[in-house]
Amino acid sequence: MIFHFQQALRAYILIAFTVFLWHLHYSGEITKYINPKYEMISHIGAVIFLLLFIVQVGRIWTKKHEHNEHCHHDHNHDHGNTPFNLKKLVSYAIVIFPLATGYLLPAKTLDASIAAKKGTMLVLSGKAQEVSNQQANLPDVIETPPVESDNTTQIDPELNNVDEYNNENIPPIDDNVQDPNAYSNTVSEEKYNEMISELENSSVIEMTAQNYSAFYEIINRDLSQYIGKTIKFKGFVYKEDGFTSNQLVLGQFLVTHCVADASIVGFLSEFDEASSIDVDTWVQAEGIIELGSYNGVEMPIVKVNNWKVIGEPDQPYLYSLYTN
Amino acid sequence: MGRRTHSFLIDFTGVILVGLAISMITLGNTIENWFSVSSAFQNLNTIFLSILIEAVPFVLIGVLIAGFIQIFITEEHIQKWIPKNKFLAVTMSCVVGAAFPACECGIVPIVRRLIAKGVPIYAGIGFLLTGPLINPIVIFSTYMAFGNDFKIAAMRMILGFAIAMIIALIISLFVKGNQLKPSALHANANTNKEHHKQKFSQKIWGMLTHSVDEFFDMVKYLIIGAFLAAAVQVYVSSETLLGIGTGVVSSTLVMMGLAYVLSLCSEADAFIGASFRNLFPTTAIMGFLIYGPMIDLKNTFMMLSVFKARFVFFFVALVTIVVLSVLILVQGIL
Repeated sequence: MIFHFQQALRAYILIAFTVFLWHLHYSGEITKYINPKYEMISHIGAVIFLLLFIVQVGRIWTKKHEHNEHCHHDHNHDHGNTPFNLKKLVSYAIVIFPLATGYLLPAKTLDASIAAKKGTMLVLSGKAQEVSNQQANLPDVIETPPVESDNTTQIDPELNNVDEYNNENIPPIDDNVQDPNAYSNTVSEEKYNEMISELENSSVIEMTAQNYSAFYEIINRDLSQYIGKTIKFKGFVYKEDGFTSNQLVLGQFLVTHCVADASIVGFLSEFDEASSIDVDTWVQAEGIIELGSYNGVEMPIVKVNNWKVIGEPDQPYLYSLYTN
Repeated sequence: MGRRTHSFLIDFTGVILVGLAISMITLGNTIENWFSVSSAFQNLNTIFLSILIEAVPFVLIGVLIAGFIQIFITEEHIQKWIPKNKFLAVTMSCVVGAAFPACECGIVPIVRRLIAKGVPIYAGIGFLLTGPLINPIVIFSTYMAFGNDFKIAAMRMILGFAIAMIIALIISLFVKGNQLKPSALHANANTNKEHHKQKFSQKIWGMLTHSVDEFFDMVKYLIIGAFLAAAVQVYVSSETLLGIGTGVVSSTLVMMGLAYVLSLCSEADAFIGASFRNLFPTTAIMGFLIYGPMIDLKNTFMMLSVFKARFVFFFVALVTIVVLSVLILVQGIL
């Protein structure tokens, strides 16, 4: 019997990847890397690793004069049987590197330093500017229903399907309770329409992990309708050089697939104590949406009248809301 | 020393390896507290691992398909399927790529195996270019990211297809040979003849061992690419990059450069592209959306594992020039 060290090393790497992926799943750490919506595909990945491991284990021991598979021609594809040398050592070190850092270093929630690299204020102010450009260029494309009244719009029963409204009362969402739907973040078409009509009609907007991406898009798109409304939201503190002492951004990362594609969303907020709060602190805030400007660009600014420091949420990232 | 000893040894080694892998978890938890690294490196590591965790399942599916091609598809099949006419072959490969729901990580091992089996380089490249760019998930995510506007998604598909055709045709005119690295070229005719004689279970076994070898050939390049892409996100500010250009040409180049270094998955890049919509003209955004799925930093490294380095650099330059010139030419309709 001959023991093949490299085949054993390859088998070990395959099983180590399997264990690493499943460990991330069972500890819940996986959500610090990818959108839970894509968890299934990473489970499939772990299963394939396991399958390849089982196959690979069979190659570790061979009988003395057995030919290695079908390898009797002189091609130089690496089956892991050629002698071990420095070049190979480097190759295996590269493959082991992510396993080592994955096991040894804790996953970190992206913070304000990453937000700075992503050009937060360009993105936030750009969001508003793009809409005003669109409105200037294509006034007839955007169907903006006439604004009925500025801030205390009453729910008009005629506007909604009355049955639907009575049968499914949305319970008030407490921010400290984990929203059960947030992890999958898929709702029925019906529920979605209900959420949107609630957003359009109530004078207090409550941003949750579930509705944030959808509401944020709509608020920025039809900003004029939301000026003067009260908004409750949370985020980590981000500051930039151009800010006045009472300004900060409460932002969150919206993750599409994995945290490498995270984009920043949030509101420029103003309140007196802003300068005393450190960057990266998580804050729950309540305030009025006003039309302001930053670097000459019109954008929403929230005048905060109520705020408190909170801990980092269990689920620090936002995911796009899908309907099924 | 019979069959029984052999299978016992195999089971025993397998159990030991599983045990070792699981013990890494506890070991990791203990050592974790021994030393500390900078928060920037922790950010880098998190982004690096997230790219890998996102990409690896697709690479694995890719190597399985590559293993399948290696064992079950013969060169005679390929010669029957691919049209002799270059233009027809390029069109066919682009259409097959568009219909094949692949992503840019999974497609490299598949293309490598196809070319090794005798698919001409230009057809392989056509498939490589349209596979990740044109598929239902990309269309849907682009549609969503651009505020349910179908125009951008449609332009991305149509222009992307046209650009892929142009690039593959240019390659069909100027590139001879299969351009594979010697180590990547090992599907020779005698393996095929041999596979015909094998039993089905042996073929499956052969397919899986090939997949393992393919995975180890490729994964180190994926790891290097993912690490560099993560480093760019942590250490380079996108504002610096954005400061470079304001005109149509320079801003398109900037967005293409951004797509290249960020190395995002084509299924997820639309949201990032959309966040720059206000800063740059549509032409530049289109550069981001079309160039990224065709070539990026991570993929350049994966291609280096397959093709000769000279060809990879020629390919990157060609894609850059064609994408830029087509977009500049059609900017009036964007």
